[in-house]
Amino acid sequence: MINAKKFTVSHAPFWHDGSGISSRSYNIMIATLPAIIAGLLMYGMPALAVVCLSISSAMIWELLMNLATKRPISIGDGNAGVIGILLAMLLPAGTPWWIVITGTFFAVVIGKEIYGGIGSNPFNPVVVAIAILMVSWKDFFDFDQALLNYDLNFVMVYPLAALKHFGTSAIGGFSIFDLLLGKQMGGIGSTFGLGIIIGGIYLIIRGIIRWEISASFLAGIFITALLFNISDPDRFAGPFFHILTGYTLIGAFFLATEDSSSPVNFIPMLIYGAGAGVMTVLIRNIGIYIDGVIFAILVMNLVNPLLDKIRPKAIGKVG
Amino acid sequence: MTSKKELLAAFVLTLILLVVGVISYAAFPAKPPDQPVRLMFKGVAGNVLFTHKMHTSESGYDVACSDCHHNLEEGETDPQTCGECHEAVSEDEDVPAKTDAFHSQCIGCHQEQEAGPQKCASCHVM
Repeated sequence: MINAKKFTVSHAPFWHDGSGISSRSYNIMIATLPAIIAGLLMYGMPALAVVCLSISSAMIWELLMNLATKRPISIGDGNAGVIGILLAMLLPAGTPWWIVITGTFFAVVIGKEIYGGIGSNPFNPVVVAIAILMVSWKDFFDFDQALLNYDLNFVMVYPLAALKHFGTSAIGGFSIFDLLLGKQMGGIGSTFGLGIIIGGIYLIIRGIIRWEISASFLAGIFITALLFNISDPDRFAGPFFHILTGYTLIGAFFLATEDSSSPVNFIPMLIYGAGAGVMTVLIRNIGIYIDGVIFAILVMNLVNPLLDKIRPKAIGKVG
Repeated sequence: MTSKKELLAAFVLTLILLVVGVISYAAFPAKPPDQPVRLMFKGVAGNVLFTHKMHTSESGYDVACSDCHHNLEEGETDPQTCGECHEAVSEDEDVPAKTDAFHSQCIGCHQEQEAGPQKCASCHVM
């Protein structure tokens, strides 16, 4: 032990490396770009309208809350912008303006600001908002209905809805490769799997999100979907289909990994991610909702404080 | 705390995106195309997604307009929608209610052509 390497720290003054909340936000925004651009190219102006209105209204809600609560103006840190971007990525193109504005209100005000602002929110603000919107106006989240007038060069049916209602025989037209390249119906920024994965890996490398959560979430989905698939291949789709459809990938890299609503220690992160993954497939396969990612993450957010009680042993503690 | 530069950038970005968003919503209102691509028939037994364009296009099932829009006059290109005559509840024996009309039209043709779904759960989302 006498030769063990010690962690040496120099004396003050220290130098700030310049990173901050704003640089984290900018990095997340950059990471969302591939998926967002793919969505804009696919759905055109109606998608651009949703994205622009979502980002700007999220920032305006935060500004209004700052003014109302007489706290320092915090929109410069970019967190509200990130909330707006992520919310828009989950919505279908052509979502009415009032849904977008209501959504950002729920996310920024109900999801974040009333708890005391950034870092104090027990749930992921975007997930809270989408959950409220989905339950309140479920017709607008029926992608088959929301995208009725789009005629793109792939199977124009929402894959998870087809699976839920008509079984695996209805999803034969989707190849894994097409799904990965975003040739599927869905939210503006949640269908281009490859782009989301690239963005996610970028964030992991930059140390902004934790790989443990993303990896365990995807592993939870994979294993559960595989078990269901083995038990009844006619009714339940295979694991790759579940990973590449719906909100799975955006959930794994952008929603489940949100700072203040996810655990910080190794074991809790694995349990959190895997729990959300398992629950997602349970909801999709035997629940009533078509996609379970939102509710699964919401429930795991709820469990998060309990999970963080599993701590590493304190060094030097006796007994 | 955020710097003044970041705050200014945030204000400018918010303003630009708000203007672009409002203009995009105003200038490109969602209006259905002249010929529907897909239609969603809603009902208590579960919605039905009808692939209108797939049924009419030459590369699809190539069904003529007048096969379904049965009161289309020769040379007329702008058919009435089903709901204009077929109401939810029908009191006229000659004009069946909307649901009955759809059922006989869809299933009848599918049986005749020996193609397409005929069972409830093959169309209705339950």
